[in-house]
Amino acid sequence: MVEIASVSPMSTIAATARRHKAAVRSSYDERSALLFVLPFAIVLFAVAVFPILYSFYISLYSLRLTRPNRVPFVGFGNYVTVLSDPQFWEAVQRTVVFSVMAVAATAIIGLLIALLLNEEFPGRRVLSALLLIPWAIPSVANGLMWKWIYDSNYGALNGALLQLGFINSYMVWLGDANKTLALIANAFVWKEVPLAAILLLVGMKTIPADLYSAAKVDGADAVRRFFHVTLPALGPSFALVMIYETMMAIRHFDLFFLLTEGGPGDASHVVAWRIYVETFRNLSFGTGAAMSYILALATLALAYIVIRMLTRRV
Amino acid sequence: MARRSTMTRRNFLKNTAMGAAALGIAGRTERALAADPLYFTTWSAAVDQVKSHLAAFEQKTGVKVEYANSPWAQYRETLVTKFVGKAPIDTLWVSDSWLPEWAEAGWLVPVDQYKTLTGYNSDVDQFCVDSMTHDGKQYGITYYTDFMGFIYNGAMLEKAGIKAPPQTWDEVVEQAKIVKDKGLSQAPMLLALAQEAWLIEFLAAMIYSQGGRFTDDKGMAVMQDGKDGAVKALRWVVDAVQKHKIISPSCVETGELAALKSFSSGEHAFGLIPKYRLRTLNDPAQSKIAGNAKIALMPKGENGSHATVGWMRFYGMTPRAQADPTRAANTVKLMEWFGGRADGDYTFQKLLFKDIGAGFGVKSLFKDPEMRKLYAAYGDVEIIGQQQGLARKKDVITPWFGEWNDVNGSAWQQAVLGKVTPEQALKTSADKWNTLKKQS
Repeated sequence: MVEIASVSPMSTIAATARRHKAAVRSSYDERSALLFVLPFAIVLFAVAVFPILYSFYISLYSLRLTRPNRVPFVGFGNYVTVLSDPQFWEAVQRTVVFSVMAVAATAIIGLLIALLLNEEFPGRRVLSALLLIPWAIPSVANGLMWKWIYDSNYGALNGALLQLGFINSYMVWLGDANKTLALIANAFVWKEVPLAAILLLVGMKTIPADLYSAAKVDGADAVRRFFHVTLPALGPSFALVMIYETMMAIRHFDLFFLLTEGGPGDASHVVAWRIYVETFRNLSFGTGAAMSYILALATLALAYIVIRMLTRRV
Repeated sequence: MARRSTMTRRNFLKNTAMGAAALGIAGRTERALAADPLYFTTWSAAVDQVKSHLAAFEQKTGVKVEYANSPWAQYRETLVTKFVGKAPIDTLWVSDSWLPEWAEAGWLVPVDQYKTLTGYNSDVDQFCVDSMTHDGKQYGITYYTDFMGFIYNGAMLEKAGIKAPPQTWDEVVEQAKIVKDKGLSQAPMLLALAQEAWLIEFLAAMIYSQGGRFTDDKGMAVMQDGKDGAVKALRWVVDAVQKHKIISPSCVETGELAALKSFSSGEHAFGLIPKYRLRTLNDPAQSKIAGNAKIALMPKGENGSHATVGWMRFYGMTPRAQADPTRAANTVKLMEWFGGRADGDYTFQKLLFKDIGAGFGVKSLFKDPEMRKLYAAYGDVEIIGQQQGLARKKDVITPWFGEWNDVNGSAWQQAVLGKVTPEQALKTSADKWNTLKKQS
């Protein structure tokens, strides 16, 4: 009370003026910031938010580009059509099989490479640089390269296996429906492993050395140290790799387009391929958009589950 | 008292804006009057030839033409988008595969009223006219045509001691076995059954020569019919792959271009290959079997004939062109300049044939000494003319063709791989056809 009483009226007015000035400046700063952000926000709305909203709007109509004068509103009819189509569920099954194979292989091989690169040995830097090559190759070039490798008539795979004496005559690779998904997954893994390895390596570098020292003192061998120190500490990095690669695998289209065009038969009709066929070949934008939304929601749900599962352990 | 003129800032801006607007309108009107061009769209083939022929047209008629092209692989999607977006197009190249779809969407108009164009019908093969016709109306004039040919490697047959190419599909099996037994080829017969645009042509050629059809005259599915449908053709392919082992199972991953490369490397005795590829196959710079790639009539099945499938690309006209009489007249002139006679001769058809080997549907050109000489350099012109006369249009070209084609191609591949029987595969195909027909 004494302190308050000792404050002069003049100083109170000055303090109020300062606060007012600061408030005005703050409001001005906010307005300026908004003004600067606005162009980007408009662009973002135009190229990202609007197309997302518009594609949802389209998914509620029976929009077929070759039937421009008849576009009836069907509500969630397209979603019902897609979800009640047995071929869609077969495609879902293939997508799951492909994704499990591709993500598991990417994570395991990526982890092994990260463990290798985490050790000191001559040529480690060169090996790290070489490792990035597959990741740096454009997707289309990667697809075409694997198409040549897998070709049954003149492919490098048949050539190598024949010369090494593993086979007596050229084998059919992509044309064999039992091998198709695994071969596409292999091409996917080849390209994706470098990124997974680097993300996991970064995670390994953040594990405190003290933990390993303490484990050694406790008598833990290399295998135990891996399972009880490295792997638990890698939780967040592993979650990132799993989520990213799962999303990539589920939505993957390039290799299916370049290597098999969904064939042979329907052996590589995954959901992404069906979306392409429905949208860009059949020009049926309504059902194509509905399928895309179903895929996006499924991916989102899966990502959420993976995050919950992996982060709970950390 | 004289009124003093004042120029305020507001007046200045107003007058400036009015002046600019007036100039803009005048400029636009002037441009519109000077040249309201025709819009001509093609896929990216023979671009230089098109440009030079267009220049001659513009010089002769004074009609300005805006030419645009898009890659073949994306042409349908590009054009559909342009149609929906109401982009200006007066005449364009159209594939017979898209005719019903585009005609029923109202993007193409019939040309029956233009006798200048329909007058050429008497000089082109019937399947060409059929391929440009939808619901009894003709939609264009021929650009280029070709058919699926039965090509054989003469040198390989000679080595195998075979004197003449097969006349029937049974003989194909017999001769292929001889070739295989003598170690001349692992897969003597070449088929390209990958899921791509060419697939329907390969299948249709096999079916027609076996005496079958995909659909009847009313457009109902008969492909599943054991006698008149496609079962015999599919069974022959399945047996050739699985039982006789004269076709590689990798045929389901082999596209048309890969097949061409494979045949030109000398690995096969027989192949179904588009006829225009004969030129490449007999070009020493591009083929190991140059001089030995020969064409024979399509082998026939038990109740079949030497029939094959033909395809047609033509100049179509849009409603935009037809809406205005002057524009329509100029568009007809342009279509005739390219698809018919220009200065009394089939100049563009000849140019395409000479430069890129594109086939023509014009019967009289088969009698043209210059054309015969050019053909003779790489093919038997008599057989080619005879086979073209036996070509038939695809009987599955409907607005729902694309959607059905994916299912049909997949069904054939599954049968070839032994996953389903030919009967099951064709039932799947027929069911899809009937569903789509009902929905249309």
